[in-house]
Amino acid sequence: MLSIKNISKSFIQRGMVLDNLSLDVVKGDSIAIMGPSGSGKTTLMNIIGLLDKPDSGDIIFRGASIANFKEDESANYRNQNIGFVFQEHLLLPYLSISDNIFLPLLATKHSKEEISAKEQYINELMIKTGISDLRYKYPQRISGGEAQRASLVRALANSPSILLADEPTGSLDAGNADKMGELLLEMNSQYGITIILATHSSDLAKKMSKILHLEGGKLIV
Amino acid sequence: MPHIFRIIIRSLNFYKKPVIYQVLIIALLSAVITGSLLTGRSVKESLKKSASERLGNTGILISSGVRYFDPEIGQRMKDSSGIICTGILEMKGYSQPLNSQKAVLNTHIIGVNKDFFVFQGFDTINIKAGEVAVNKGLADFLGIKTGEDLIIRFTEISDIPSDAPFAPASDAGRSIVMKVGTILEPIHNGNFSLSISQITPMNIFINLPDIEEDNGRPLKINRLLIKRDNLNTLKKVSEVLKRDLRPADIGLRLRRVKKTGENELISDRVFIDESLVKEIIKLLPSSAPVITYLGNRFDAGARSTPYSFVSALPSSLYPETAAGNGMIINRWLAQDLSVSEGDTIKMFWYSPDSLNKLIEKNSDFVVKHIVDMKGIWADSLLMPDFPGISGKESCSDWDAGVPIKMHEIRAKDEDYWNRYRGTPKAFISYETGKKLWGNNFGPATAIRYPAGVTEKEIEDKLNGSLDPDKMGFSITNLSGDAAKAANEGVDFGTLFLSLGFFLILASLVLLSFAASSYFDSKKTHINTLFALGFKNKWIARLLFFEAGLISLIGCFIGALAGYLVDIAITRALNTVWTGAVQTDTLNAYFSPGPIISGFILTFITIMVFMLIKVSRYLKRLNQSEKKNYKTPSTRQNLYLLFISAIVTISLYVFSLLLTDQQLVFSFATGIVLFLTLVLLWRQHYIGISNYDSEIIKNRKQLSRKYYSLNPSHAITPILFIAAGIFSVFITGANRMNFNEKQMKRSGGTGGYLLWCENTIPVKEDLNKESGRKTMGLDDDQFKGIRFVHIKRSSGNDASCLNLNHISVPPLLGIDPSDFIEKKSFSFSKVLRSKIIANPWQYLKLPSEKNTIYGIADQTVLDWGLKLKPGDTLILRAENGSPLNIIIAAGLQSSVFQGNVLIGMENFTKFYPSVSGSSVLLVDGNSNLTDLYKITLNERLANYGVNIEKTSDRLASFYKVTNTYLSVFGVFGALGMIVGIAGLGFVLLRNYNQRRHEFALMLATGFHVKKIRRMILSEQMLILFAGVSTGIISAIVATFPSLKNNHDMPWLFMILMILAIVITGLVALLISVRSVTKNSLIASLKKE
Repeated sequence: MLSIKNISKSFIQRGMVLDNLSLDVVKGDSIAIMGPSGSGKTTLMNIIGLLDKPDSGDIIFRGASIANFKEDESANYRNQNIGFVFQEHLLLPYLSISDNIFLPLLATKHSKEEISAKEQYINELMIKTGISDLRYKYPQRISGGEAQRASLVRALANSPSILLADEPTGSLDAGNADKMGELLLEMNSQYGITIILATHSSDLAKKMSKILHLEGGKLIV
Repeated sequence: MPHIFRIIIRSLNFYKKPVIYQVLIIALLSAVITGSLLTGRSVKESLKKSASERLGNTGILISSGVRYFDPEIGQRMKDSSGIICTGILEMKGYSQPLNSQKAVLNTHIIGVNKDFFVFQGFDTINIKAGEVAVNKGLADFLGIKTGEDLIIRFTEISDIPSDAPFAPASDAGRSIVMKVGTILEPIHNGNFSLSISQITPMNIFINLPDIEEDNGRPLKINRLLIKRDNLNTLKKVSEVLKRDLRPADIGLRLRRVKKTGENELISDRVFIDESLVKEIIKLLPSSAPVITYLGNRFDAGARSTPYSFVSALPSSLYPETAAGNGMIINRWLAQDLSVSEGDTIKMFWYSPDSLNKLIEKNSDFVVKHIVDMKGIWADSLLMPDFPGISGKESCSDWDAGVPIKMHEIRAKDEDYWNRYRGTPKAFISYETGKKLWGNNFGPATAIRYPAGVTEKEIEDKLNGSLDPDKMGFSITNLSGDAAKAANEGVDFGTLFLSLGFFLILASLVLLSFAASSYFDSKKTHINTLFALGFKNKWIARLLFFEAGLISLIGCFIGALAGYLVDIAITRALNTVWTGAVQTDTLNAYFSPGPIISGFILTFITIMVFMLIKVSRYLKRLNQSEKKNYKTPSTRQNLYLLFISAIVTISLYVFSLLLTDQQLVFSFATGIVLFLTLVLLWRQHYIGISNYDSEIIKNRKQLSRKYYSLNPSHAITPILFIAAGIFSVFITGANRMNFNEKQMKRSGGTGGYLLWCENTIPVKEDLNKESGRKTMGLDDDQFKGIRFVHIKRSSGNDASCLNLNHISVPPLLGIDPSDFIEKKSFSFSKVLRSKIIANPWQYLKLPSEKNTIYGIADQTVLDWGLKLKPGDTLILRAENGSPLNIIIAAGLQSSVFQGNVLIGMENFTKFYPSVSGSSVLLVDGNSNLTDLYKITLNERLANYGVNIEKTSDRLASFYKVTNTYLSVFGVFGALGMIVGIAGLGFVLLRNYNQRRHEFALMLATGFHVKKIRRMILSEQMLILFAGVSTGIISAIVATFPSLKNNHDMPWLFMILMILAIVITGLVALLISVRSVTKNSLIASLKKE
């Protein structure tokens, strides 16, 4: 489904971060990428999500090269295929939880039928993640774990094929981190969503089907 | 699912504080723009209201200028066409309470009939005989109350121009004492005036019968007011006037000459205008002009005959008259001179020169016939009705307006007078007579008709056929013209927008900072949207819509607040800034037009601004997210710095070499130096070597590292502070204060000491011994005093003191010889000519096809008349014919502001009835200026003289400019306050962006005080950079002005700069105090 071919990325300030890195992702994979801070995990996630561009190499998604997508194409790709979960929940503080979750649907046009189907799907996700009672609350009024779960539902709102989670449990306590891990697995198994997550947590990593280590700009199994 | 507008509303509600900041800034911007536009409308509306109040019901004005006409014409027009009108006699004079020394020198005297106030719609106002009504302005100024006596002095009203040959020498004016019966408020038409000016007139309304003379003739009028009515169009009034106009209305009388059986037309003005003669001949080809003149004497050998009338007769009526220098004389003269046919006699007479001054001329004539005193040769009616001569019992009683040598009049001359009165003793051809005695007042003293032409025939031909335009009447749509003048006058809307430009700019800069700060605080949210797959366009639209909503609210509040700004500005214009408008009658008007315009203008400006801002912000955000830091190119900056430094030096060298263009080059040097210094500071900030190649050795370098990557964070406030100080300096340097340079010949005073304006013209030549003797200026101490005599026609003041657009300015008739000789005054713009070297020479050129040259102050040309050298100003001569004045040059700011100068010869030709000098420019020993002033005040008291030092007069014009500069200063100060607030935003933004950096410094052992000191020192450097850049470049830019302007308001400028520096320091200290250990630790925890 996704093939990363020999990508490299360097920064003036940090030097070479990704060095001729390759990775093949099959639909339904759940991959944990581990590595020390500054090893390039977030950079890799950003490149996969087309938030950043590699200096060289290619990214093939469903048989097509997407590395040189223009801004609009990248945005479409992210909106339709990628779901992002960050260490911080990044919920918009001025929108209710429900509005935050539905927000990605605004990025593209949908028919009434599609919206109706999405609403049903999102409601299901909210029930599954245990936040359905929080829909009218605002991010400031809910706990960190709840907010992170809301951000997971938001990431899944557009039914992405790949979920990119960058340290999704980094700011959660052990209980909530564990619960988040379980949810990710559930999404993977129940909805067949491919998960690529970057984490320092070996507990979370162990729940994934593959664990890769990013060292010296390369992925090591 | 949330709608985009819900997101926007939620977002705005969430970020209340920054949103309110933006709304307030936009409201300020909108208020300034709308307030300025509203002020423009308010001034126009006030001018219109004041014009309407002044005019009352007057719609159309029929004016005879400096001449008079019979009020009967009004009644006739009313009877024939139902046109409601009233006649007035408008005069200038001066007034003084009987028991006070305070006087109004420019009193507007309005002689009215009983129907005047009825005409104006105030049936109950009635001026009793022996009383006058005065307006409140005059009553307040003089402190006079009803029942008190008022001395009123005005020029004698006479049909005969006092400069006309043989007009009787008259007194300087006439004084009457009247009781103040009524004090009229403006709403009761107290401020009635036909002038286009916002300045409140000083009015006295007086019953016409109260100023009638004892000669039994009803007083003539010079203005006929036609009631404002849609049916009374200019065309209709003009047609009715023409139809109803009779020769008698303009002083032409038809009488029968018994001796010859002929009819003749004679004029109350004695001489009949050339245009009128031509018009009458056109209508009645049998008309034959005659001119009869007073000869001083005839000489034939040793014999001489004094003071005899001579007639120049047309050959069509008098075929016997001899052409050329042939003369027919009567037997009495032949005997007296002992001459016979064929002998030559020399005739002497006084003739007005081109300046209407009488000079004695002579010519030889050959006696062709000697006739007996009978029939047509004994026609005493040929002698014009000279008021000082006709009807006098004896020659010694003559008041001929010329020096009569009484000792030369013999008994036989008295006897001739007693028997034959003014019967001419000699006759020449009309053509010769016209050549010798035709003058600016006309080429005929009568128009005669053959015996067969009846009185009725003449009346039938002339009644209703005379063209009023050619009779000296002007018909103007006064109410329309006043509204037009107000509309086209000084546009205060644009003016205040220009004056408030710095404040508008400062508000926009502040808005930019506030919006950036707002966007920064939304940065995470924007990134989230980006990560969720929202396109840049969508995010831009979201931000743009947000900005749109903020702008809508801000613009709406501001547009309404604009009315408050309008109220504040109009109040200031009525009080502290009255120097700019010369009135306290301006009102603020709430008009939807300017409010909607201000709202739309501000909204569009902000939306364009925000569109650019949002797209640039998102672009920068994308770049920074991708860590694509671009370090600014030091080489490129150095290159630019080098170029601008070279240009600065070059311009400076030019300013030293081209001294006549020093002002322009110095200003350009200052501007480019400003740029050079900014680039120098930029070099300082970005000059530190590449980000990752140098180890930071101290805290200063740490700061510079930050600014090397974000130079705009330092350069923007530097630019802003420097621009503010630059404008403060420029404003101060441009304040126009009177200095010694203006007293030089080339200055605005022309080197003259005093400017005297007389309500009653001075007829004496004060440069001549006789004139000085009359005025008591023949003491030794006045030996050095010299006068430039200036005549003035009526018109509307076109100086910067009048807010209306003026199309008929007063003309000053001037002999420029003194200016040419002394190289007085300087010119801004000149009509280039290969023949004329000195622009003053243009005024000496004779007229050609009613076209002459004129000169005016450049400011009058630019603002009052909206003309440039080479353009033609079309006015009307006294006789109604068009007078084309080609503008030859624009004077640098001078004492002549408000007027158009033309040559004296042309003035007397086109305005012959204006006699005497209304303005005197006094030159002499500058040490005796005060003595001259006191003495002239005393000696010219009867003329209603107002004497001011030329320096004071010039300073009064500067007051207008300086008031505008004060307004600019106030707006500039407000701009600086907004700017300092902007500096606060910059500091806040810089601090927020570097919070993590400071937090880490704290974590690594820096004391919070050291961190504060570091922030303070780097911001103080920015403040210093801004202040020094502004001061240095402004000093260079204004160096010539600073050098010459001894009255430079240094204290004001130093205080302004100090205020800026202190406010800046306070803002810095306050913002640095917000850097606390706790706030940094909080940031560290998050990190």
